[in-house]
Order: sequence, then C-alpha cells, then structure tokens
Amino acid sequence: MMRLLRSLLPGRRKLGFAYLFSLAISVALALLLGALMMRLTGYSPVEGYAALVKGAFGTRRALGNTLAKAVTLSMTGLAMAVAAQAGIFNVGGEGQLFLGGMAAAIVGSQLTGWPAAVAVPLAFVAAITAGGLYALLPGVLKVRLKVNEVITTIMLNSVAIYLCAYLANGPLRTADKGIAAGTNAIDPAYVFPRLIPLSNLTASAVYAAVLALLCWYVMKRSTIGYEMKLTGQNPRFARYMGMKTDRLILWSMAASGALCGIVGLFEVYGLHRRFIPSLSNEFYFDGMLVAMIMRYDPVGIVLMSVFFAMLKIGGTAMELGVGISSELILIVQSIIIFFMAAQSGLARIVRERRGRRAARRRIEGKNVPQGEATS
Amino acid sequence: MREQQSAVRFTRVSMQFSGVLANDNVTLDIHSGEVFALVGENGAGKSTLMNILYGLHTPTAGDVYVRGKRVERYSPAGAITMGVGMVHQHFMLVPSFTVAQNIVLSREPKRRGLLYDFKKAEETVHALVNEYGLSVDPGARVSQLGLGLQQRVEILKTLHRGADILILDEPTAVLTPQETDDLFAVIRRIVQEKGMTVILITHKLYEVMALSDRVGVMRGGRLVGLEETKNVNERMLASMMTGSEMPPGQFAREGSAGDTAVEVLGLQTLNDRGLPAVKGVSFSIRRGEILGVAGIEGNGQSELVEAIAGLRPLRGGEVRIRGQRINGLLPGEIRGLGLAHVPEDRRLTGASLQADVTDNLLAGRQREKRFAVGRIHRKRGAARQYAEKLFRAFDIRGAGVDAPAGSLSGGNLQKVVVAREFSFDAPVFLISQPTRGVDIGAARSIHQSIVDKRNAGAAVLLVSADLDEVFQLSDRIITMYEGRITGEFTAGSIEKAEIGYYMTGDRIARHHSGEEAL
Amino acid sequence: MSDIFTIALLQNTLRTATPIILAGLGVLMTDHVGIMNIGMDGMMLTGAFFAVVGSFYLGSWLGGIAAALLAGVLLGLFFGVFVIKLGSDEFIIGVALNIFAGGLTVYLLRTIFGVKGAFSDPAIVPLPRFVWPWLEGIPVIGPLLSGNTLLVYVSWALVLVCWLVIYRTPLGFWLRAAGEHPLSLRSAGISPERMKYLASLLCGVFAGLAGAHLSLGYLTMFTENMSAARGFIAVACVIFGAGSPPRVFLAALLFGFIDALGLRLQSANVNSNLTAMAPYLVTVVMMAVLVVRTEARKKRQIQTR
Repeated sequence: MMRLLRSLLPGRRKLGFAYLFSLAISVALALLLGALMMRLTGYSPVEGYAALVKGAFGTRRALGNTLAKAVTLSMTGLAMAVAAQAGIFNVGGEGQLFLGGMAAAIVGSQLTGWPAAVAVPLAFVAAITAGGLYALLPGVLKVRLKVNEVITTIMLNSVAIYLCAYLANGPLRTADKGIAAGTNAIDPAYVFPRLIPLSNLTASAVYAAVLALLCWYVMKRSTIGYEMKLTGQNPRFARYMGMKTDRLILWSMAASGALCGIVGLFEVYGLHRRFIPSLSNEFYFDGMLVAMIMRYDPVGIVLMSVFFAMLKIGGTAMELGVGISSELILIVQSIIIFFMAAQSGLARIVRERRGRRAARRRIEGKNVPQGEATS
Repeated sequence: MREQQSAVRFTRVSMQFSGVLANDNVTLDIHSGEVFALVGENGAGKSTLMNILYGLHTPTAGDVYVRGKRVERYSPAGAITMGVGMVHQHFMLVPSFTVAQNIVLSREPKRRGLLYDFKKAEETVHALVNEYGLSVDPGARVSQLGLGLQQRVEILKTLHRGADILILDEPTAVLTPQETDDLFAVIRRIVQEKGMTVILITHKLYEVMALSDRVGVMRGGRLVGLEETKNVNERMLASMMTGSEMPPGQFAREGSAGDTAVEVLGLQTLNDRGLPAVKGVSFSIRRGEILGVAGIEGNGQSELVEAIAGLRPLRGGEVRIRGQRINGLLPGEIRGLGLAHVPEDRRLTGASLQADVTDNLLAGRQREKRFAVGRIHRKRGAARQYAEKLFRAFDIRGAGVDAPAGSLSGGNLQKVVVAREFSFDAPVFLISQPTRGVDIGAARSIHQSIVDKRNAGAAVLLVSADLDEVFQLSDRIITMYEGRITGEFTAGSIEKAEIGYYMTGDRIARHHSGEEAL
Repeated sequence: MSDIFTIALLQNTLRTATPIILAGLGVLMTDHVGIMNIGMDGMMLTGAFFAVVGSFYLGSWLGGIAAALLAGVLLGLFFGVFVIKLGSDEFIIGVALNIFAGGLTVYLLRTIFGVKGAFSDPAIVPLPRFVWPWLEGIPVIGPLLSGNTLLVYVSWALVLVCWLVIYRTPLGFWLRAAGEHPLSLRSAGISPERMKYLASLLCGVFAGLAGAHLSLGYLTMFTENMSAARGFIAVACVIFGAGSPPRVFLAALLFGFIDALGLRLQSANVNSNLTAMAPYLVTVVMMAVLVVRTEARKKRQIQTR
C-alpha cells in the first residue's frame, strides 16, 4: 500500500565539491528569487538584504543572537542527523524538545537552593531522559511493529506540545504575577550566564560545542557511527554482516531525542528561566531543514546553521526595519531545498541526454555493416 | 526451401547504457511463422535486443523493421500496434487485479461510456482462453496464481492485444517440468495453428534443440552465430556462447573430509509470503568437503541458506555449527561461531551500494583491534590499507577503494563480496550463486578460491543454479525440489543429464530417494 | 453527559471531518499511484489562503473556490514535477512544501492584507449554507443533513465519485496499476508517469477544496497555520482506510468526532489542551493497533492454509 520511506534515508552521498558547488548556486538562486519577491511586493531587495545582514551581524548583541540561533539550529539539525544516520526519520524533535524543557524546568523549579553543580547536571539527566524516552516510543513502534515513524513522530509532536501546555496552564502553573502561562521559575543560581550581555548567547553555546564535537566523533570517527551508517544505508546488509540493527536504530533514536531534550533545557536555563508554552517556535523543523540540505553531515550542519541563523535573526530585523515580512526567509529556505532536490534529477536528465549523444557519435563513427550469417 | 517472409529485421542496432555497450551493431532477420531461439550467457545482450523490439529502449543506433515497416518511435504502445507482444522474465502483471483485468488492461470494455464492464471483460477472456486452449480462470486474482499460470496470463495478454510476434524472455526459468511441457505445447500450437512468430530468449540449450527452427547466438552484445537448429548441436552452441570450447576446469583437490562441521536436522522455514519454503531438510557437511545443492531456482534453496545464516527464522528442526546449536541466534552471533556467507543477491544483501568499497570490504571487522582502538575509535588508515590490499589481491576493477560500491560493475561487486567473506578464516562457508553475472576469468578465480578453502579444511555449502558449477566443485551433491531433498550423490556417481530428474521432482527421483509422493 | 452528546456534537463532527475527508481523498489519489504526499498539509493551507483571497477580491464564494483550486492544482503540478519528473524524494519535497506554504501564506497575508496572525473581513463571502426546513423536522437525521455548507455535501458526493472512479472505471484501474506495478501499465502502452501526474493534479484539486472549506466553510477567515496538521491526519486516515474512499471517510469522521467531542468537553470544563491532544494520540494508537491487527490476520491466514 504505502511505499516505504527507506529510499529517502540518509547519508546517501558525501558532501563532495560538486555538491557544495551546486549548494552555492542553489542558495544564490533562492536569494535571487527572494529578491524578486521583495520587488514584486514593492520593496527594495538591496535595502531588504542590507537590513538582514546588519540585523544579523551589525551589533554585538545581534551577533550574539545570531550565534545563539545557530546553536539551536545545529543541535536540532544534529539530532535529526543522528537518527537519520541509522535510517530512522525523527520528525518528532519538536515534542521531544518540549518534554525535555518541561522536565528540566521541573527539576530547576522544584529543587531550589541546591548547588548549581548538582542541580544543573540533574536537569540535564531529566531532559535527556524525557526527550530520549519520548523518541524511543516511535522507535520501538517502528522496529517492533514496523509502524511508519514519520506519521507517529509528527502526531507525537502535537501530543507533547499540548501535554506541556496543559501542565503549564494547570497543575504546574506558576503563581507569579505577570506570567500568562508557565511553570515556576528555576532557581536563579542555575541560570546559564550570558556570554554576550543583552544577547541570547549563553553558556548553552559551550555545552552545544561539546555535544556537537561528540556527535561528529560518534558519527564520523567511531565504530558505532560506522555501524549506524551501514544500518541506515542497507539494514539487510548490516544485519547480514552481524550488526545489531534494531538496537542501533533504537539507540540513535534515543540519542536524537536526548539532544532535542537538551535544546529544551537550553531554552529554559538560558533564556526563559521557566517552562513556557511557547518555548519553541518550530525550532526542530528549522534544524531538520538544515540537516536535510547538508545531507546529515555534522560539520556541514554546524556551518549551514550559522547561515540559516543569519537569515532568521536578520529576517526579524528586516521586518522591523524595512517592513518585509520575515516569513520571506522561510520561502527562501524551502526554495533552497527545492533547488537541491531538483539538481540531482536535472543532472541525471542532462547526463543521460549527453551520454546518448556521445554514444551515438561513437557508434556511428565505427559502424561497419556486420552482414548476416548463413540462413 | 520456401520463400521466407521477414517478421522482424534489425539492421546495425547498437545500444549503449551508461558505460556498457549492451548491443553492438546487431543485424538479424527473423522469419514469419518460425520459432527463433536467441541464446547467450547472462549479459550477452539478448534481453536488451528484445526490449528494443518491444519498444522499452530506443536503440542508440540502427533501425528495427517489423514486417518491413521501420519503427519510428520506440514505445510498448507502438510495438503492440505493430503486433509485437512480449512475455517478460519478471511478469508484468498487477497482483491485486484479476486475470481478466490484467489481460484487458489499457483496452477495457466499457458500459454507459465510462464504467468498467467487468462481465464483458471476463467473457472476452473466456473466449480467448477457449480459442487458444490456454485454460485459466478469468476471475481469479493474479496474486493467488502459481507462476506457470501467471505466465499463461501473460501469453493471453499479448494474444488479446493482437500480437502475432511473441517474444518469450527465459520463459522456463521459473517453471516446473510439467509447466514447461505445457508451455512448449502451447508454443507449438500457436505457431502451427495460428501462424505466429515466436522469439525465445534462453540460455538452456535443450530448449533450443527441442523447440526452435533457427537459433541466433549472442556474446558480448554481438550476434556471433546464426544457424538452422537442425544443423547444430548443444556442444556447438555452447562453444559459440562462451567463445571457446572450454574444457570443464579441473581443480586439484587435496586432503580428505574430516569431522562434521555443519549439521542440519529437519529444517523448516517460510518464504517471504509466509508459505512453507523448506519442509524438513537434513544433511551434514564435514570439514574439507564441498556440498553442492542443485535445483531449479525457487525450490527453497535461498530460504535454506538464509535460515542457516540466521537471516530467516527457523520454523522447525535445528542447525548445529561445529556442535553449537544456532537456533534463535542473531546473524552476528552465528558468524562468531565461524561462518562466512556469500549471499545470492549482492546488491540487496551482500553490499551497501552507497558506502565506499573500503567500508564494504571492512564490514564485520570494524571492531577488530587492528581497525579500532578500544573497539570504538576507528583506525581509518589501517582500514584503507587493508581494503587496498584486498582490492589488488582479488583483482577488483573500478575507480578505487574510495568509490561507492554501487559504481562497480556486477562482476566486480561480486568480487568485493567474495573478497570480504573469503578473508574471514572461517571453518564454514555458505556460498550462494557465487559467479552469477561474473565473466569467465573471474568466475574461474572464484572457483579456485572456493576449492582452496575446501583444501584448507573448510566445510562449504554451495548453492547454484548453474549446474556446471555444482558438478565442477562439489564433493557431494544434493538435489532440492519444492523444499525437500530429492536425491543425494557423491561426485562422479551421476551424470548431469540424469540429475535433472531429481531437480524436477520426477516420480522416479522420489522413488530413488525414498521420499513419499506428494 | 447528556449535554455533551447532543445533535450539535454530531453536527460539529461533520463540520470538522469535512476538511479531513477532502484532504484524505487527495492523499488517497497519490497513495494509489504509489506516492506518499506528506505535503498535503501545506497544499491545504495554501488553498485556504487563496480561497480567502479569491472570495475577498472577486466578491463571491465561487471566486474563492476557483482561486483555491488554481493554487491547489499548481502545487500539485509542482509536487508532480519534482517527484515524478526529477525523481526527487517525495518526503523531502513534502516537508519543504509544508514549510514553503507556511512561509508563503504568512508572507502574503502580511503584504496583501497587512495583518499578522489572522485575516477576517466582512467582504469575504463564505460558502453558501443549505437549509431545508422540511428536512429539519426529522429527528437526528434532519439537523445533520440540513444546514451544512456546500463543500460538506460535495465531500460526500466526492467520496462516492472517488470510489466509483478508482474501483469501477478503467481509469481507476490504470491509476492503481501505476502504483502497484508501473511496468505492467507501461507494457500495456499507458504511461505510468502520466497517471502519476493526474493523481498529483487531482490531489491538488482536493487540497484546494479542503483549504476552501477551512477558510470559507468552517470559518470565514484565514489564520496562520490554520491547517493544524490536518493534512497529516488525512495521511493517517488513508493508511487506516487502506486506500478505500468509504473507509477513509469513516476514519475522517472518527477524527472529526474526537475533535468535536474535545470542543464539547471543553465547554464542560475539561482542559482544552488535553482535549486537543486526543486526535493526535488516537492516530498513534490506531496506527499501532492497525499494524498489530494486520499481522495477526496474516498469521491466521498462514495457519489456515
């Protein structure tokens, strides 16, 4: 009935020069189309993009915000990549993020007065457990029952988001004045220090750097990453070669969920200081886009995150300064994907045509009648 | 000789696929009302040539004429209009549709201008069935038919579309002997009574001799011979196909069989459709012995091998490898007991096509000390060196160890699989179709490696659809038919011609092996 | 309880099920040709937006539907070109399509109407509502059948039409053959690609209708992200319904019921977040149950053989 989604899974090809070249062209074309849209809707593209770049890097504060956004995008992108490497599509990172944030907020707001060196690691454990276990659920459904993980993870997003909203509006609702909905604030002693004053860049960036390094190491340099990769590429082959494919898939799904949980923790401990129902605005989907564009390559994801963060943060500034809706950035980003998705198909069509022509020339050059054998 | 009318004419047809010249300047005339056999080894270009005739490929160069009319646009629709029908090796049937629905597909009868007239469709098919004497129930769902009947549906489909030139691509590969006899009778009837032209693609020479009027031989994309069947014999055709009269290679066998390494007792397992595929098979293999399994494909050999390798759950019986019971163990654990396995399908099971050659050659060893520090940190330099060594040792040809395995040709990919598995110093080898689609030189070196393993004291289970291979290499041979063992022979105690009876479940064979009739 | 299970609950069920039915029929079309259209949510959202645009500027609901259909067909074609012609991954294109639609509608909402969040205006003409007083007299059935907007009735008719086309016309057989065994269709002289394009375009048509119902039938306004994952629920309905229009219809009704029940419970002071969670949770549970049940059935079949 429904075609298996196996074909779309991960790590198919490496990030070669040709790929990066076509990526550059796609980005340029997408920006050009964005400019065209600005023109058509009555804005000046030059002004728009200038405001965007200035808004992203113009001040120390802006730079800090951009880097903070890049941290979120890298973490969510890596979360997607870790699962995808083993061949499972985690579209449910958003829900895992919410649950991780909620778990961390509960720890931080209930265990007040503890030394930060104890409470913060506990919060990490809580976030990792919440996100990881929640990701494990669709993982188990896929591995044991072969239930398509794409639909279940998408559905579980909504479940987690509503559940957290319920908790933040109901049982765990704060009594603090001026807070529409949310849990109690965490102990101020646990709040991550800001790296650039007034910006959103906090100590999360340090944790994120360590985690990104770890992801890169596991995916690219460890035997586990190697086994995950082969499992994702051809699970039948991996099983035949003696790898424990089911276990690899489950662990990478758990790791993916754990990373998302940690992103939730970052949002709570770095920015909001409590769980709020609007903790994330589809952060995971932005990261997913980055991961897909960079073919789940960890280094590529981190670099591309900075670019996408610039678009995102600059986009808001562009909206405030020039009046161009920041959603234009979403359009530009999805167009990049369309171009990237089209280029392999276009290349194939061009290659086939060219190959056919070349072959025809070669064959016609040496065509000597062969003559019929006896009959 | 009577004046021959041309049914199909190829003039200087060439077909280039990315990198491969599948047809090289082929000129060929096929006469109206004859059975024409087109023979050649795998990859000789027979199917490509016929796919061109059926419009599935547009030739890179050259022309095709059907009854003197040049083919302008290559498409199946065009071929159908010109009266060309093809029964493919893999059937072109929609499993969830009924026989009638498949046969009338694209030319369905309608009522009230729009609606599908099921009744009329069945009536039409019924009439067709009666006209040609090809009995099959028009209302049956194709997914519930056996392969012989499915083939019959395919033939009816081409007849319904008005074909009078019928291409049959390896029609007997999946058939039982009874079904093969039925098919031959059908072919004779439609040629003699209906005046049809039949083109038979095959590599089974006795079919050529039994059925055809003329025979064309292809090798390496070229037509290397065209003869009246009555003027040739199987031996001549075989030498034309292979390019030389190859004496069957002899391999030096050393040592004698030792103690038992593999024991299989009453093994039962299911196929992918959940039906019993292996119905209680028992045998044992000793060290220093090659046990060959002969049988027509689809008689449970693939499932047998997968069950022993741990890739398919056992539904009964037990398997012991070097005394250890392996029921319920994971493939990796069974490998740990000393098993290496060359699977029949190198693309689906034997390799990861996206991974590079190094990764494919290294698989299974990634946690060994020399390739990983503390079982975790990969030593990528060592892996690459190791891969390069194997790459050279097995004479793998391709863009190098960093290229994706999918970029290798079939034969070279097979060498990668063989190189990896043979590098394991395992006491037990499961080897399935080791030389399928591999050129003769490479096949010979793979054969030599298998015998070397045997001489070094390994127990080898060899499954092959290539009977020559089984005869050439095995110390003992068992035949399988419909999931059961139908005979067991020591090498040299039986002729190739005779073993066919056992492979086809002939009653005599059952009698011999003491099996009860079904 | 009696104030929860009322006629209004069933009426709401129909209302909320309709966009899922329409979207489900669209997904079903591509499903039959072997394409999983995860981009339905975005296609529907775009349809909803352009329905408002059309209705607002042309001053008629017909204009709204026409604009929504046009948007849907264009997106269907777009999806088709990528997935069929260029061989792109249908999942990646679907995800990108959803993000694209989210961005595009909000961007245009801002630039055309100058608002953020939601746009409603008296000048938007809603879909006509059909009230038959003579029908309303009949208990239960009357109030259910009467008083619905146009596309509710259209969706019922389309379930029947889809079923007829897919299972009772040659075209339906060609579509299914294109998905189940494309080579057999090609060897019969019909291009499976053409069937796939047709299905993509039809999917776009249904997406447009689903969107128009959201913004002109269900409500008379456009709000950001108003499809609210209904496109995904439609995909789940097609999985439950195994591709059969009547069963997809029933699955959609079930979701509509859960949704409507949530709204009712809300008024009975059950937390709205918990009730909103229900359809998504039910989807996950049902997908697991469905798999377990088909497995069990397969086992039984094997054993009875």
